[in-house]
Amino acid sequence: MVDFSLTGEQASLRDMARKFARTEMAPHAAECDRTNRFPEEIYRKAWELGLMNLNVPTEYGGTGLSLFDQCLIVEELGRACAGMTTSIIANCLALEPIILGGTEEQKTRLLGSFCASYNLASFCLTEPSGGSDAGSLKTRARRDGDHYVLDGEKCFITNAPFASLYTVFATLDPSLRHKGIVAFAVPRDTEGVTPGKEEEKMGHRASATSTVRFEGARVPVANRLGKEDEGFSVAMRTLDQTRTPIGALATGIAQAALDHAAEYSQRRVTFGKPISEHQAIQIKLADMAQALNAARLLTWQAAWTIDQGERGSLESSMAKCFASDAAMMVADEAIQVFGGYGYMKEYPVEKLLRDAKLTQIYEGSNEIQRIVIARELLQRLS
Amino acid sequence: MEIAVLVKPVPDAETRLRPDASGQELDPEGVKWVAAGYDESAIEQALLLRESAPGTTVRAFSYGPIARAEEVLRSAIALGCDAATSVEAPPGTPPDGLAVARALGLAVARHPASLVLCGKQAGDDESGIVGPAVAELLGLPDFGVAVNVRWEGGIERLSIQRSVEGGLEGVRVTLPALVSLQQAWNDPRTAKLPNILKSRKAPIERIPVADVAAAIAPSASLLARRVAFRLPPPRTGAKMIEYSSPDDAAQKLVRILREEAKVFP
Repeated sequence: MVDFSLTGEQASLRDMARKFARTEMAPHAAECDRTNRFPEEIYRKAWELGLMNLNVPTEYGGTGLSLFDQCLIVEELGRACAGMTTSIIANCLALEPIILGGTEEQKTRLLGSFCASYNLASFCLTEPSGGSDAGSLKTRARRDGDHYVLDGEKCFITNAPFASLYTVFATLDPSLRHKGIVAFAVPRDTEGVTPGKEEEKMGHRASATSTVRFEGARVPVANRLGKEDEGFSVAMRTLDQTRTPIGALATGIAQAALDHAAEYSQRRVTFGKPISEHQAIQIKLADMAQALNAARLLTWQAAWTIDQGERGSLESSMAKCFASDAAMMVADEAIQVFGGYGYMKEYPVEKLLRDAKLTQIYEGSNEIQRIVIARELLQRLS
Repeated sequence: MEIAVLVKPVPDAETRLRPDASGQELDPEGVKWVAAGYDESAIEQALLLRESAPGTTVRAFSYGPIARAEEVLRSAIALGCDAATSVEAPPGTPPDGLAVARALGLAVARHPASLVLCGKQAGDDESGIVGPAVAELLGLPDFGVAVNVRWEGGIERLSIQRSVEGGLEGVRVTLPALVSLQQAWNDPRTAKLPNILKSRKAPIERIPVADVAAAIAPSASLLARRVAFRLPPPRTGAKMIEYSSPDDAAQKLVRILREEAKVFP
């Protein structure tokens, strides 16, 4: 039967992540947000404790956690700082194409280095002219002997300025659309590979984001992930795996917003009593708690489905889309509960709204998620 | 070289405590059990000593209801302890330090160690009996309130810094000995994720409950029984001060302290 309780192992993973989030991340969240600082010392510590590369199988030196267990951890990290969490889990996204599309030799060679020492990788799919419409990407790959030559530009790439490896999607021939897309693992020190300057973002400011330019970058054929026509499939299957943790991250943001709002509502007195005793506030808290709980349950269900070996496109899209919308709603209402103070940067809730916004956009915008949901739904009906 | 560490399960600081139906005990429902804070310092100290003396093994011991004891032992293993022994509390045994010491003393005696480490007291009852009592039962010298412990020219002797009134006291000790820790001079480490996973599957030795009961029996008539377990009365009288500026707040606070609370004339 359905059982929502965690095992002892899961509870201890969650508690460990919670402790790290509270003691190492939360104290620096406001400062990094204010100064746009990339706190590499925190990421290094996360790596030391095994909180990075959660999806890398044990045979390549990773922890090989189930997606469900990954989600438990990501929610706890997300509660403390969404931006730091994005940077901590970016390796999972960047390494997933190697896990899914790589040969044994590639997995041993490429994944091993991330588990043996602190290194960052970036997933390079989105381009200045589009992200959602991945089939029409413009970065070109041209075969030249035992190399491919890459030319083009990727943008909004998480951790790009600090990464040592990029997983890059490029097309052999744009007219082939999806069929022309190839995936590559490209070391940062390849000649002709240049990360751009760090972007100034609305939220997730502890995470670094930049463009990456490829100008005649020569990548050995040995670094092609999958066959020449498999790149698009690798990208989509990667996102099927990594979308659900974004639901968990958004759930963490929502949990943080509810925590702050509920706590503040019991301290703040108006009309002679704590505002938590006013029905107007109680109704808000109830709606926030419902959205939060539903977000978590959809995330858990999606993770469980994928852990059963199913692709879980429908479930993971629902989890990511619903949880990120819930995070926006709950963060918005938390600001309302705080009133004027909530709008001030001195208080923690306005950051949550700015951080929540990105979860509706990245790793497949919520509009794309809804298209996926509808398509899957209609397919099952027909 | 063997080091024994004694670890007590206590309710997590965030647990909402409430008495059970009898009014004599904590209601264990929903309580998360964690290693007592000073015991975490003892674990950290044991691991640091092991790191500077290759070949040393650290075994953690915990007394209590079996699930509770094993939960904190798993966290000790996740932190790096090599082995663990759980000492099951015989049902109905009063929560008395001497009973715990007799039980743990039995277990430690089965795994002879040159050094026994524990916290100076546990964060729940704060009684501070178990360490000295185990030392007495095992015939070991006892050094309390240590803040730093190092090898002194080999693994036969220790140099101990103790926290004493107004400063620190340095002591040199020839082993065997029992040392109880205050806050370690460096923070207890965080368990690494792969070690947490391994700790869940690690074997934990169990001392049979009949043996434990027999060890406690000689002190049975001496044990303190808990008469009641109550929460402190809810605090009242908090007063929020409305103010327009920090100066205004300070003036109002001083006026209240002087005229209403009469803290100073």
